[in-house]
Amino acid sequence: MLIELVNVSKTFSDGHRALSNINIKIDNGEFVFLVGPSGAGKSTLIKLLLKELEADQGTILINDKDVTRMKRKDIPFLRRSIGVVFQDFRLLHEKTVYENVAFAMEVVEAPAKDIRRQVPIVLSLVGLSKKSNLYPSQLSGGEQQRVSLARAMVNGPSILIADEPTGNLDPDTSWEIMRNLSEINHRGTTILMATHAKEIVDAMKKRVIAIEECTIARDDKKGGYGI
Amino acid sequence: MKARTVKYFFKQSTRSIWRNKVMSLASIGSVMAALLVIGIFLILVLNVDYLATKLESQVEIKVHLMDGLSENIINDINKDIKEIAGVKDSVFLSKDEALKKFNEELGENSYLLEGLEGDNPLSDSFIVTLEDPRLAPKATLAISAMSNIEKVVYGKEELEKLLNITYLLRVGSLVIVGILFLISIFIISNTIKLTVFARRREIGIMKYIGATDWFVRGPFFFEGILLGLIGCIASIIILGAGYYFIANYIKQQMFGLLVISLMPFKEVVYSLVIALIVIGVIIGSLGSMISIRKFLKV
Repeated sequence: MLIELVNVSKTFSDGHRALSNINIKIDNGEFVFLVGPSGAGKSTLIKLLLKELEADQGTILINDKDVTRMKRKDIPFLRRSIGVVFQDFRLLHEKTVYENVAFAMEVVEAPAKDIRRQVPIVLSLVGLSKKSNLYPSQLSGGEQQRVSLARAMVNGPSILIADEPTGNLDPDTSWEIMRNLSEINHRGTTILMATHAKEIVDAMKKRVIAIEECTIARDDKKGGYGI
Repeated sequence: MKARTVKYFFKQSTRSIWRNKVMSLASIGSVMAALLVIGIFLILVLNVDYLATKLESQVEIKVHLMDGLSENIINDINKDIKEIAGVKDSVFLSKDEALKKFNEELGENSYLLEGLEGDNPLSDSFIVTLEDPRLAPKATLAISAMSNIEKVVYGKEELEKLLNITYLLRVGSLVIVGILFLISIFIISNTIKLTVFARRREIGIMKYIGATDWFVRGPFFFEGILLGLIGCIASIIILGAGYYFIANYIKQQMFGLLVISLMPFKEVVYSLVIALIVIGVIIGSLGSMISIRKFLKV
């Protein structure tokens, strides 16, 4: 089991309840949609997986490691096993496409040789080989999201978390991103994607976990977005 | 730490120093000002110490003996004095020798002593030198308690004045240096705060990618130390040049008039450079650490 949440609860210090008694198991190589209304707890769940937030109760296992008991100094290494992409891309504007991707390898102190070999590979994977010397401002939204996908994948994580990756994109571009994600999934990376994009969820026919009012409302193997 | 990481830290920190020119300059300036004052006080303290040890080695106790003592008794007294703890040497000065010396010292005015040859009012004495001038009061007390002693005198006031000045200088410099130290740390931490703020997006991304804490903090730490070092080098240059010219000036102007001189330039520079570099680096690293702790939530 790659990701396992057992009886996980999270209440914020102001008393606001975010998650209550969550149980999820995600296997290696799965593609999982995380759906539900805004404020239902999707983002909190993602933050718990990245240990940006601490769970009040329960156990979270990633790659058989207990995240809830993880020491602070081990958190960076947990995050290296999880690639993340966001709705707002979060690229560095003063760096080129190539540099943005290489940056992810630099901060984990990868050897220069590996950087020179690996960056072009992931850039070609997302179809941006020809744009590697452009700056993010010279790219379309979809291209920027693909740069951030490349950056998330360059260190070879076993899990890719996408927090509304198509939220800022038009439908056509959204589908390009989904094709990229499918490709990444086919190559063996587990994908957990939080989204509001009903059409995409319905068309993809993948596992859907719906979170409503802090609990899991539904977990369908080949589900749709629901209402 | 890999060489490439150090290079990365260095590149990031120099870049942000350049990007925040105004605040960087303010930090460097404040470190420089603090170190200048620290340096000036250090030079003063070093020189007063130098002077004090010179003068201290000249401190002597004068022991005036009763009139008409036999040679045996005088020898016994000499022996007793030499046995007192801290006494380096004691030399007998007969009243005739003392009068002659006094005569010489008066020079042109020696006519004042005319007619005293037959009835010398001075007394036989011992000139006692000490291992440590701070022992003078104790030794004086011990000698006074001996018999056949008329009076014991030592250059108490001058020595105490000098020791007081040294003490005041030390305390005063500590207070001022402390204040300037804190101001510099505050300004540096503010500069680093700006850098942290300017790079907050990058820091956020680094965290998600899995950069370790020290890798994220490294460039900021480097920046603080760099600011401290640049300020330190500037102050060393100014102080060094200033001291060199002043010491030379004093030498030329006062040659022959003053027996005491400033410490040799080379000795001052050595202690100064080491002290200022250490303090500069401490200021820089403390400043950046404060900012990192406060504003860099990793």
